Amino acid sequence: MTFEIDPWTRRRFFQLAGLAGAGVTLGACASEPESPAEQGGGKAPSPVFNEPATQLSGELSILLWSHFVPSHDTWFDSFAKEWGKKVGVNVRVDHVDVGNVPTQIASEIQAGQGHDILQYIATLSEFEEGVLDLTDVNDEVANRHGEQLAMCRESSYNPHTDKFYALAPGWVPDPGNFRKSLWEPVGFPDGPSTWDELLQGSSEIKKSQNVPVGLGMSQEIDSNMAGHALLWSHGASVQDANENVVLDSPETIAAVEFMQKLFKNSMTDEVFSWNASSNNEGLIAGELSYILNSISAWRSSQEANPEVANDTFFVPALEGPETALAAQHVMYNYVVPKHAKNPDAAKEFLLHFTDNFGLATYHSRLYDFPSWSSLSPQLGDWLSSDPFGAKPADKLSFLGDVDTAAEWSASIGHPGPSSPAIGEVIGTFVIPNMFARAARGGMSPEQTVKRAHEECQRIFSRWRKRDLIGGG
Amino acid sequence: MAETLTETPPRQKLDGARQRLSDRDGFLAWIFLVPTVVYIVVLVAIPFFLAIAFAFSDVTSGNPSYDWVGLENFYRVFDDAVFWQALRNTFVFTVISMLLIVVLGKVLAMVLVADFKGKWIVRFLVLLPWTTPVALSSVTWLWLLHSIYSPIDWVLRNVGLIEENSYFLGRPALAMGSIIAVHVWRLVPLAAVIMMVGILSIPDDITEASRIDGAGFWRRMFEVTIPLTFPLIAVAALFGAIFTFTDMAVVYVLTGGGPTNSTHVLASWSFVRGIGGGDIGQGAVIALFLFPLLLAAAILILRAVRKMETI
Repeated sequence: MTFEIDPWTRRRFFQLAGLAGAGVTLGACASEPESPAEQGGGKAPSPVFNEPATQLSGELSILLWSHFVPSHDTWFDSFAKEWGKKVGVNVRVDHVDVGNVPTQIASEIQAGQGHDILQYIATLSEFEEGVLDLTDVNDEVANRHGEQLAMCRESSYNPHTDKFYALAPGWVPDPGNFRKSLWEPVGFPDGPSTWDELLQGSSEIKKSQNVPVGLGMSQEIDSNMAGHALLWSHGASVQDANENVVLDSPETIAAVEFMQKLFKNSMTDEVFSWNASSNNEGLIAGELSYILNSISAWRSSQEANPEVANDTFFVPALEGPETALAAQHVMYNYVVPKHAKNPDAAKEFLLHFTDNFGLATYHSRLYDFPSWSSLSPQLGDWLSSDPFGAKPADKLSFLGDVDTAAEWSASIGHPGPSSPAIGEVIGTFVIPNMFARAARGGMSPEQTVKRAHEECQRIFSRWRKRDLIGGG
Repeated sequence: MAETLTETPPRQKLDGARQRLSDRDGFLAWIFLVPTVVYIVVLVAIPFFLAIAFAFSDVTSGNPSYDWVGLENFYRVFDDAVFWQALRNTFVFTVISMLLIVVLGKVLAMVLVADFKGKWIVRFLVLLPWTTPVALSSVTWLWLLHSIYSPIDWVLRNVGLIEENSYFLGRPALAMGSIIAVHVWRLVPLAAVIMMVGILSIPDDITEASRIDGAGFWRRMFEVTIPLTFPLIAVAALFGAIFTFTDMAVVYVLTGGGPTNSTHVLASWSFVRGIGGGDIGQGAVIALFLFPLLLAAAILILRAVRKMETI
């Protein structure tokens, strides 16, 4: 590697300023170039079309996020319109920046008007009362494609109300990304495989090369995912399988104590101001030794800093004292609001989209994984020989296939469902703040866990009162 | 026949009627007032009364149906340590920002009224922070204060003042300082322009007389300029306070309320609770706490304006 870490020279400043500019252009988390440079032997699968069960007509409007991989949106827009032409429906697709999607959905449901399909990258359980039951759609997809991954079902189905408030056709794994040139000299050429190895190796890297680890403890979504992975690996969780708050436990305290050590030895205060683009910016600049992220930061660096991209490798969820689990990085949720003017077309489109999820996987440059392993049979081949220029080409082979990646992944409500209460715990950043209070030294691990537990109880009691969650 | 001769032609009749209408002060007053009234009713009054209604309800982002829950939302909000932190932060940000805005605004106003080459360009540049949309300028500041790319850090490092990056937004005290700095940066131009108008309205003979009487710069400043422009200084201060007190964009873009909720203000915490957490009722309760201070500010502004009218 020729990318110097220190000292700050004028040339380095301009390099970083240039990369910063690239970061802005690349967007919030991981924007990719418009046309993926296919280099391997992979080809996009052929589209599948099933005749709708009923005669469709009219308009269909769809709201979804601006994908971190823009080539996906280009494909999706024409895919949706082509389907519309075939079935006699005029389709309109609107993309919104990911940070603004929840606000947009909330305002449409409050106003009782807007799009026929609303999509987000995390569970939309808090909107259950404002959306249609999609049990029929989920049943039909199950008929066509078999059993859905459990974690995707847990993120779209409320067992307490027995309602599918959403369809979760896809998800995104959240592996560890590490810089090989930094980890090799400290004795971990294949990166860390346990949380203890992460602490050991990253402390050494920070001491010898002054490059920190980037695990957010801030008020944003990636920090939530990192915090939950650490909790689960220590045998702790926010709730149990029956939706009772169980956060205040010796396991949680042990996880917080671990994070304190990791922060002290391997991180800087930047993790308290982490945002959705920090992983990308830090990795591309060569300023982080390890991050917990999807493959998006690395895909961005393929264009912005190929040297760093070639030096970046991946590990699955880190093993803790109890298990090795990572939260899903993204969990796609599609809902049909009660105000939808064309619910039949909405449901038929969701079926068509799910049938063709292999195309979404391909056009997102292997970012999106399907919730039914049968939907993308070529995924294993693509991962072992990346069609989009990975060096080496089998860099993503550790992901195996959908089922292999799912073995070390969990939905955000694990071991229970991703209920509205869990949605609020995520939306108000209870877990990252719990870790941050102890890491900053403002509270002892016991105090911060107790406070977070009380916050969770307040949230759960409110949703329990509305009869939308179980337990109690 | 005589009747036919005296009859007014229809067009003249219409013109006459129009003239009569345009001569009626009461009618004109209503015509001019209607847009303002409609604006206030639709965009201020209705949301305000909705917020009051929501505060006593269990409305969530997913379910707009209204069920009365009494004071339950208030109890839950008061039971939350972050609310009190946000309330405290709102006052701290507002008071410190207001003081800095007044002092720096006054200094800038003095510079702007001075005679020098390129005055108009300087005036134009000074106004830019105020004219830039707050979200856009906040994003610019986000990069200026970035943990890796901050040019401020780069300069400080190269002049030897710091050894490692400052992490402006990752440390509570620095994050609060950064938010105040951005508020001051964007509101000082407005205050300066308001105060500049005040300074320019002071008759030259008063300034001249005090100069002949031997008053130096500071004496003229404290005994002539400030007393005569005080109502305008008060207006500038109150505008600064209102804009800081109600703004959530700067906090939301720069820190998102972090680290560990330490920079939340009422507006941002209301948004996080109401939209992020889906609890519209609690969000409404938090937002309502903005009302008493805004009411007080409005009364003070009106008094200041009345005082100006009597000068």
